[in-house]
Amino acid sequence: MSQSTKLKSFFVETGAISKFTGWFFHEFLRPRFEAREFLRQCYIVGYKSLPLVGLTGFIMGLVLTMQLRPTLVNYGVEARLPDMVSLSLIREIGPVITALIFAGKIGSSIGAELGSMRVTEQIDAMEVSGTNPYKYLVVTRVWATTLMLPILTILSDTIGLYGGYLGINIRGVMSMDLYVNEVLHTVGFSDLLPATIKTFFFGFAVGLVGCYKGYNSKKGTEGVGLSANSAVVLSSILIFIIDLVVVQITDLLGFN
Amino acid sequence: MAKQIINNIKLGIFVIAGLIILVTSLYMIGRNQSYFGNNITVRARFTNVMGLTKGNNVRFSGIQAGNVKSVHIVNDSVIEVAMLVEREFQPYIHKNAIVSIGNEGLMGNKVINISTNPIPAPAVENDDLLPVKKEVGTNEMLETLSTTNDNVAVISQDLKQTIKRLNNSAALWNLLNDTSISYNLKISLLNIRSAAVKVNQVATGLNTIVVDAHNGKGTVGTLLADTAVATDLKQAVNHINGASAEADAVIARLDSLIGGIQKDVNNGSGTVYTLLKDTATTNKLTNSLDNIEKGTAAFNEDMEALKHNFLTRRYFRKQEKAKKEAGK
Repeated sequence: MSQSTKLKSFFVETGAISKFTGWFFHEFLRPRFEAREFLRQCYIVGYKSLPLVGLTGFIMGLVLTMQLRPTLVNYGVEARLPDMVSLSLIREIGPVITALIFAGKIGSSIGAELGSMRVTEQIDAMEVSGTNPYKYLVVTRVWATTLMLPILTILSDTIGLYGGYLGINIRGVMSMDLYVNEVLHTVGFSDLLPATIKTFFFGFAVGLVGCYKGYNSKKGTEGVGLSANSAVVLSSILIFIIDLVVVQITDLLGFN
Repeated sequence: MAKQIINNIKLGIFVIAGLIILVTSLYMIGRNQSYFGNNITVRARFTNVMGLTKGNNVRFSGIQAGNVKSVHIVNDSVIEVAMLVEREFQPYIHKNAIVSIGNEGLMGNKVINISTNPIPAPAVENDDLLPVKKEVGTNEMLETLSTTNDNVAVISQDLKQTIKRLNNSAALWNLLNDTSISYNLKISLLNIRSAAVKVNQVATGLNTIVVDAHNGKGTVGTLLADTAVATDLKQAVNHINGASAEADAVIARLDSLIGGIQKDVNNGSGTVYTLLKDTATTNKLTNSLDNIEKGTAAFNEDMEALKHNFLTRRYFRKQEKAKKEAGK
């Protein structure tokens, strides 16, 4: 494939995703609202992802603390360990790692599920039976990912901070009260709010890319795997791009 | 259907847990940054805020009491800092409390310290302007350190030269190598030690004397404590004063007498003049004395003759015998 063809396909893909996004905004305000399906998706996307996300957050908090500790001890500022761990987790590591894990688990599953529905013509059947497949399949999933990822991130941050507390107490001694005080003393609105707001965008990106890839799946069963794979890759890249944009905006607004 | 309800319950718990954590964290952070509390605003004006920014902590006697609300420039040399302080601290912060800018640790954020002033003053009110104290900044400390370093360099140079001279001093090394000095020093120290023991004993003795004197024991104590002695002394001094007054009168009389004699001598009259100046009288006196001498010699011969006279010899022998017995 020549460079011009690649560039052309890139723009075609970008345009198609933009159109797909516009379609979402067009559909999600209009009745009928698929509340039951939305709740089911929230349960699958949110609740079912909690063990994985919680485990990841716990390990991240623990490992981050243990990795930071020697450097801080060298500088003689071991007491600032809760500050560093809490800021790192809440501002960046918690949201991004949770979103990446979420993209890996949910983005791929949405891509594969919708892709298999597409190749088995279930989506076409829904259209024939009078059900709006976009509203039923895409809007509910995108809403679920958009709303569940922030909650998952908050829980993951909390579990990660507990991991950090255990990490501090492996080598040193610090009471839970002191740790919580230090964390609350360090973390401000300007840390927590932008980090939480950006997870809505992460969730939206993961859901939308997963749905787009699955909804437009082709080439039979091979296409299903390809959809799942490209959904994870693209949503992961989008997570980093959104993170970059949000950091710039936060910086411009003076929250950094 | 039942499974779906259970799933919805699980989902509800999951969502509510996340929201509770989010809201609690936001509330705790807000409370920590004095956004929700009942606060008052106090102000302070500095010439240099040394990097203090909005949101930095405010501490009252080391306790977290609020945070910096705003920092703005009043004019080219005055920067006003407004602080949000929790109302529960208001009764303890007085109008003369001193505000200073410090550091949280060696490399930490800037922090405002409000410290109490021992001078009584009414409690601070909303929008009050508190007095400030200039803290020593890192730059000032480094400047002082630089001067100290220069001084240390000069001192070390001098010390180096001194040590070099000491190393080259043969007399010093002879002194150090002479073992007899240490021996003598040891002896001297022993002597000093024994002297110190003696001094101690003397001091103890003196102390005993002083204590005795204080308690009215001994001569000194009697002198110091006995009021009768004091009275006697007073009387004696009075007597001495009287005697000296008498002596003064006698001396005055003698003086007038001598003056009279001197006058007589000068005028060539009176007994003293006759005795001192008149040569005829002197000759007569000399002759008289010669005659007395001769008379005395003759009297001695007569007495010797009496001793050997048979009438009186016996009496003189008795006298000698009695003298000898008295001498034994």
